[in-house]
Amino acid sequence: MSRPYLYEILNLSHYYGSHCALHIERLVLEEGTIVGLTGPNGSGKSTLLKILGFIEKPSEGILRFKGEPAELKDESLRSSVTMLFQDPYLLRRSVFENVAFGLRVRDDVNELAARVHRALQWVGLSPERFARRAWHELSGGEAQRVALAARLVIRPKVLLLDEPTASVDAASASMINDASLMARNEWGATLVISTHDSFWLHALADETLALYDGRLVGSGAKNFILGPWKPAEQGLWEKTLSEGRRLLALPAPYPDAVAVLDASDIRISPTPPDASRGDTVLHGSVTQMIIENGSGRLLVKLASRECSFTSRITQEQATKIGLHPGQSVWIALNAGAFQWF
Amino acid sequence: MSYIADGFRQAIELILTANPETVSAMWTTIRVSSLSIAASLAIGVPVGFVLGHTRFPGRKAIRTLVETLLALPTVVIGLLVYILLSRRGPAGELGLLFTLPGIAIGQTILGVPIIAALTATAVESLDRRLAPTLLTLGARKKHLLLTSLWEARFAVLIAGITAYGRIVSEVGISMMVGGNIKWHTRTLTTTIALETGKGEFAMGIALGMVLIAMALAVNISLAVLKRRTAR
Repeated sequence: MSRPYLYEILNLSHYYGSHCALHIERLVLEEGTIVGLTGPNGSGKSTLLKILGFIEKPSEGILRFKGEPAELKDESLRSSVTMLFQDPYLLRRSVFENVAFGLRVRDDVNELAARVHRALQWVGLSPERFARRAWHELSGGEAQRVALAARLVIRPKVLLLDEPTASVDAASASMINDASLMARNEWGATLVISTHDSFWLHALADETLALYDGRLVGSGAKNFILGPWKPAEQGLWEKTLSEGRRLLALPAPYPDAVAVLDASDIRISPTPPDASRGDTVLHGSVTQMIIENGSGRLLVKLASRECSFTSRITQEQATKIGLHPGQSVWIALNAGAFQWF
Repeated sequence: MSYIADGFRQAIELILTANPETVSAMWTTIRVSSLSIAASLAIGVPVGFVLGHTRFPGRKAIRTLVETLLALPTVVIGLLVYILLSRRGPAGELGLLFTLPGIAIGQTILGVPIIAALTATAVESLDRRLAPTLLTLGARKKHLLLTSLWEARFAVLIAGITAYGRIVSEVGISMMVGGNIKWHTRTLTTTIALETGKGEFAMGIALGMVLIAMALAVNISLAVLKRRTAR
């Protein structure tokens, strides 16, 4: 018999008042993987994480954990699943007691001091300097790292990270990423990471899911293009960009619709490409390049004035045109590739 | 005007020589107020926690009632407790009228609404991130309650100190329920009232200074605690 999925979601909806914040028809997550959740603010990432963390009960639908229906009343569910919030709350006590809290509530206090100190080291905080500090004597980045140490110390099987690095300095961000990865490498933790700046996540995640307006809009690197859209010539619609430039698309369902464009649908060339009907061609430059985890392809971040795009190309294509960060390129996208939400 | 200066001089003498009547009033005040604040905390903190932490039908009505009781005049409490404890009253058989526990019952009625109302507000204004944080760290129901109360500990202490300030300085309950019996139920405040009525200002001023010193100590600790909670 095959192993059940770690999580299985079927026809799940979650409402805040009458507003549907999340609706997912089917989603499965496998044990030991790194899953990225991307999407703009308000797309339902945090709601999904809270449901996976058994902090919120979905309004309707099925949530299974290791093949069993997850009942929030079952307090043992939360013993192996923990979540780090974007804006962490530290208990009104010392750093040591903050990190020790999860072990104390589990009555798991063997070698407490040694384990707390080790967890602080994982997140790059010296136990000698930090263990006795009070909660209010920490910077934002330090507080976030203490919050992560408080979760790592319990060696969770699932670690849910909600925009873990959105409001911390670069050094803290890199330590938070390293410590989270260590949880996967050391004891096989499953990581679910949400972020609205998804580029770095693609290099890390086994699977990246894009959410928009509470719905799954696909997996892998996506470009979200917000309106307003208006009718243009030949039955196409357009979005006005700066300096008289415009983006052409197939008719939008309504002027404020959001278009989603897969990264593979954005083409790059070093010289102006031949434009066919419905093509938008923009001039821009390469700002970042990473190898996409899993596909082995290159994800290229492109900037064209106020717009930024993510394109997916093969390594051979990149070698052929000698692609490198800073390079000036032509970006082409076809109106037919737009999906509407 | 010299009687005022004389009054102060004699008052300092009374304090420095540990005048037995002054000491007795101080000691009585400390004993009865300690009993009252302990009972007020024991009842007020759980009531306040339930009012601030849980949602149930009628909660708003109870909160309004508790907040109304904050303004209850001490002479009205004194009257009610007197009726309750008097020989013909429903609790007359306990023989608590004109005793320290009798005063403490009245002062507890004074203290409980203060502690309950302030604790409820403190628990309500706990950070909304607290509950999800505790849950995700693996806390169970019993931890959730105790840790929430511990997180609000400074505010609960402030509630206790505020109530203590009211209890130690009230005169209506002590006078009516305690009867102002010398060496027995005479407190700082009832002595001041009595001595002033007799025109004996020295004792009144001496006890007044002690009372002000106690109020100052209470206020300083309040200020220190408020600074800590503001962080």
